[in-house]
Amino acid sequence: MEQTKLDEIISANGNNRKSIIPVLQEIQATYNYLPKEELQYISEKMDIPLIELFSIASFYSSFSLTPRGKHLVQVCLGTACHVRGAHRVLDESKKRLQIEPDETTDDQQFTLKTVNCLGACALGPIVVIDNDYHGNTRAQKVNAILAQYKSVNNNGNDTTE
Amino acid sequence: MPKLTADDLIKIRKKARDTINLRKGTDRAKITVHMGTCGIASGANDIMEAVLQEIETRNIKDIIVTSSGCAGFCSKEPMATVDLPGKPPVKYVELTKEKIIKIFSEHILDGKIVDKFALAIGSERIY
Amino acid sequence: MKHYRAHLLICTGTGCVSNGSFKIKEALEKEITKQGLADEIHVDTKGCNGFCERGPIVIVQPEGVYYQRLKVEDIPHLVKEHFIEGRPVEKLIFVPPKEKQSVPNISDIEFFKHQRLITLKNRGRINPEKIDEYIAFDGYDALSKALTQLTPTDILSEIKTSGLRGRGGGGFPTGTKWELCHNQKKTPKYIICNADEGDPGAFMDRSILESDPHSVLEGMIIGAYAIGASEGYIYVRDEYPLAVKRINLAIQQAEEYGLLGDDILGSGFNFKIKVIRGAGAFVCGEETALISSIEGRVGEPRQRPPFPIQRGLWKKPTTINNVETWANVPNIVSRGGEWFASLGTENSKGTKIFSLVGKITNTGLVEVPMGIPLGDIIFNIGGGIPGNKKFKAVQTGGPSGGCLPMELLNLPVDYQRLAEAGSIMGSGGMVVMDEDTCMVDVAKYFLTFLLDESCGKCFTCRKGIQRMLELVTDITEGRGTLKKLELLEELAQVVKDTTQCGLGQTAANPVLSTLRYFRNEYLEHIVDKHCSAGVCRQLFISPCQNACPADTNAAAYIAYISAGRFEDAMLELLNTNPFPSVCGRVCDHPCQLKCRRNQIDDSVAIRSLKRFVGDYFLQSGKFPKMRVPDTKLQHKIGIIGSGPAGLGAAYFLARLGYQTTVFEEHNVAGGMLAEAIPESRLPNSILAQEIKAIEDMGVEIKLNSKIGVDISFKDLMNNGYDAFFVAVGMYGDRSLGVEGEDLLGVFQGVDFLRDVNLGKPQYIANQRVAIIGGGNTAVDAARTCVRMGAKEVTIIYRRTQEEMPAFLEEIEDSLEEGIKLITLAAPVQIIGDNGKVTGIQCIRMDLDIFGKDGRRKPVPKKGSEFIIDADVIIPAIGEFADIEQLFEGLEVETWDNGTIKVNEAGQTSIPNVFAGGDVSTGPATVIKAIGAGQKVAESIDQFLFGKNNKTYPWRIHKPADVEFDMDAEPVEFSRQKPNRIPLEKRIKSFDEVEQVFSKEIAIKEAKRCLRCEMEVELLKEK
Repeated sequence: MEQTKLDEIISANGNNRKSIIPVLQEIQATYNYLPKEELQYISEKMDIPLIELFSIASFYSSFSLTPRGKHLVQVCLGTACHVRGAHRVLDESKKRLQIEPDETTDDQQFTLKTVNCLGACALGPIVVIDNDYHGNTRAQKVNAILAQYKSVNNNGNDTTE
Repeated sequence: MPKLTADDLIKIRKKARDTINLRKGTDRAKITVHMGTCGIASGANDIMEAVLQEIETRNIKDIIVTSSGCAGFCSKEPMATVDLPGKPPVKYVELTKEKIIKIFSEHILDGKIVDKFALAIGSERIY
Repeated sequence: MKHYRAHLLICTGTGCVSNGSFKIKEALEKEITKQGLADEIHVDTKGCNGFCERGPIVIVQPEGVYYQRLKVEDIPHLVKEHFIEGRPVEKLIFVPPKEKQSVPNISDIEFFKHQRLITLKNRGRINPEKIDEYIAFDGYDALSKALTQLTPTDILSEIKTSGLRGRGGGGFPTGTKWELCHNQKKTPKYIICNADEGDPGAFMDRSILESDPHSVLEGMIIGAYAIGASEGYIYVRDEYPLAVKRINLAIQQAEEYGLLGDDILGSGFNFKIKVIRGAGAFVCGEETALISSIEGRVGEPRQRPPFPIQRGLWKKPTTINNVETWANVPNIVSRGGEWFASLGTENSKGTKIFSLVGKITNTGLVEVPMGIPLGDIIFNIGGGIPGNKKFKAVQTGGPSGGCLPMELLNLPVDYQRLAEAGSIMGSGGMVVMDEDTCMVDVAKYFLTFLLDESCGKCFTCRKGIQRMLELVTDITEGRGTLKKLELLEELAQVVKDTTQCGLGQTAANPVLSTLRYFRNEYLEHIVDKHCSAGVCRQLFISPCQNACPADTNAAAYIAYISAGRFEDAMLELLNTNPFPSVCGRVCDHPCQLKCRRNQIDDSVAIRSLKRFVGDYFLQSGKFPKMRVPDTKLQHKIGIIGSGPAGLGAAYFLARLGYQTTVFEEHNVAGGMLAEAIPESRLPNSILAQEIKAIEDMGVEIKLNSKIGVDISFKDLMNNGYDAFFVAVGMYGDRSLGVEGEDLLGVFQGVDFLRDVNLGKPQYIANQRVAIIGGGNTAVDAARTCVRMGAKEVTIIYRRTQEEMPAFLEEIEDSLEEGIKLITLAAPVQIIGDNGKVTGIQCIRMDLDIFGKDGRRKPVPKKGSEFIIDADVIIPAIGEFADIEQLFEGLEVETWDNGTIKVNEAGQTSIPNVFAGGDVSTGPATVIKAIGAGQKVAESIDQFLFGKNNKTYPWRIHKPADVEFDMDAEPVEFSRQKPNRIPLEKRIKSFDEVEQVFSKEIAIKEAKRCLRCEMEVELLKEK
């Protein structure tokens, strides 16, 4: 990111301690993660030790220190989803993507995350991919849902398997 | 906009209430699509789109299309409420595009409640 | 209860309210008091009638007069004319149209009927993105009142009077909190709206922000004015993007109108609000952690005191309340604290929003007065449990809360009662759990959640939760011991006592509350290594096998059928069950209820497949002979009773080499299978062939030998038997306990069925028959009567149809066959003439409070007696264990209900006498009886040879070697249905109703199986 953009983010939120989280949220939204260089710049500019930025970035689950994939797959593990079999949906997602939660597929297409309740419990188990809610998901449906997001690469091959 | 006074509030209230209750006399129906997170997740956007499409293709000007938040009955989403002047509201549930189009032509345009998609007539109780 | 001469019911549906029904109510109350009628006439509210255009509507009861379009000025005249002069006011009267409408009124729908919307009053009726619509329904009226007519002290006292308590979890009195903050000297002061709704399963805060954001703003502005705060923050969860968008828009619109900012409504009061987005940390719902987060730090809680009201955001006095609490404020200010306090219970005032989720028919947000019974929320509003499953528990209060069992369904829901029951109100999440939920797994789930969300500051929380999770995981994976359970309980107490914040202090609650009410489930996992809910994957092979009381691995024989390998299928079946063809007809198939194919379309037709295999070999005459050891053991086992438990035990014992003799009192073997199940469901010849196969293995059956009559048990014990198994079932018919049972024409259910089965003539033709009961015996008796040419057959049952214990399919069939079903009725007396039955007098039943079994108790409805004319009455309300004669001269311990007391091994108080089946468990199913026989065979073997770590052949489950591609999409066709003989033919004969699958159909159906047992292989690979 250009430094001017970072400066803009800082000045829009205010160059003070209480703005750290909003600033980091904006960087996360832009990059899909918090790149090291950007954090270093912020640290200097806002006069907050890098170690503290790291501590905040690792404490809150909406930040990521590694790049996330093109699609974010969030499997809700709220209680309502859990009692309706969300763990089996998660197992199936892991199997189909061949990654564990908080990991990204090698081709950078999918990042898998679990989330503690999205507040749409009536539709549980829920999988949210990017901004799409897939309600009443069953393990048996996972493959078909993921398929909607799989892009086709230049060779015409499916890139995720 | 100038700051409101207590009297301004009352004026706004009166005017807005007449519009909402279809008492202005210019609107012949109101359709409210319930669009909280649950509703949207179950497909309320498609319902809204279908309604707007109907309005556009039929070139209708006197029907209010509006949205509101969650209607509370999540397992029946997507939901919509149809109001006709002087008639109790009718709640429709578990909507699909096809259902709302039917409701549009039969209930909104023709005044006949589509029984098989309707959940209830009337409004919720407020203490 | 006070008696009034008239009730005035004012419609408070949204429509009438917007036409001013509250003002009418006030005016009526005022006028009635003024006229001195307050003791005679009662004013109340009711739900919508659907006559919204004529509102406000008032109904006068008992006359049923409707008054329409009332105005405040009409009231004095109306009260005077109608209630003093006795002349209804014609020009205001409205006569509702008579025709029946096809769509119900909202006030007749259970989901809405019990709700009272205060905080959610605007849900679904306003556009949350338009401030004018909020204003239209009296929005910002309370603010206007507060700023122009009330002092901060007035507001504080109003809130205190209301009794409002924090809706976010703690339940601290809101007025007191505000006052304490108001009294702080330091400035500036802050207020915070906690919208970091983190409890999984709770989403009312999201919904309020999305559907009525201005109500929160209005509450906060009023609060700020009362407390003396100049700035407010709304801390919203990052997972709620729509809520963030709408609350920001609302703030912008309120600012434009000057309802936020400087000199609000010209009062000189200044206040602004900023939205802060959370960054995903459950612990930030804790107020001190939330403050740290707003300050731009890691959200770790800190020690309290000092409390935030003393030292909060930037070390200044700060009041934190959650969304729902703030949204309650405008209503209290506009309608008064006393009005609010009139709702709810002693210590919990007003209404509360609950999110009803999980295994419940109607999911949604419900707002109800505090104190409503838990069961009313779940069964009336929520519509009960879907899919014919049983309610098990409801989890309230999120991870800090607890699980409440069915014994507590009558609990009035308020802060205190929930706490007494070991849970909390929390933010109002109610996650309903059914029989398929494992409570140990629920504890594990919450521990996993909390481990992830613990901030890590306190050692006991960080490591304590981790260690608890390890222990619980051990239990769910079959490594649990009683010692570990003890350790878990001790640890839970330590974590509770030694951590700093709410998260840690309550982290043990999921464990403690599940242990309090569901200890048996823990023990089942630890001792039996069994998870009856079918959740803990390491403890079973497939959900169908796990559900089968006889441990039959249906997945394996279905796999063989799909490959056309019927002999392998039959051997797999016979390994655990000597009665494939019988069970293929009459089993209640618990396996099918747990079949995962259910989640795609419908369960695999496991019972029909079982029957196909069984019949295939019966018909071909190539019934495989089960292998018995070449040399028999010297030990002799005596078995009393030849039902499925007795013959089952004989079968399994024979396979171990024992010599067994089965004593049967009647002249045919099979117990209830032979006597009580009609030919139309189970032909005698089928049963006889399967019994013959057992005899072929060397089992001796002695018919017409009633122990206790033909030979005493005591004598039998001296006849060289090493052990006995008593499986005599339940044969005593329970009497109705009403007058007239001795009349001619009264037959007991089981006796009647037995007589028919054994061919004794019965005079049912052209008779009117009334059958009392709701179980299989009642339904079988009814269907038998139809086939015998009865003129009219009626079943009378005291509960609802859904609660009938008979199999669903049988009930449906019986209705199809023209049998009349009268539910919610019970007999009062049997009426007769000249010693012969002429009818039965019954009384209607109402469903009252919940019983211990989680069902509502039927209670007689006074004055609702009615008579059914009948010539024959068949009581079939259950049987009891009739064992007095059997054990004459012996001391055997029994339970109060007369069943025999046994230990886990099935051993009675006489060491070498075992008991099982209905006589020890109470009425159960065929497959349970077979399972009991299996278990007792093992117990007897261990009794005679000591615990030997032997793996019994029927416990060995080899995966079927039939290939299956786990990654392929499941086959798409839906469930195959067996053919049935046509109705006309059915009701005239005892021909079997259901036909067997053809070979092709069976193979096709078997291919629908998802082969869940393959997962276990995958688990093993891990």
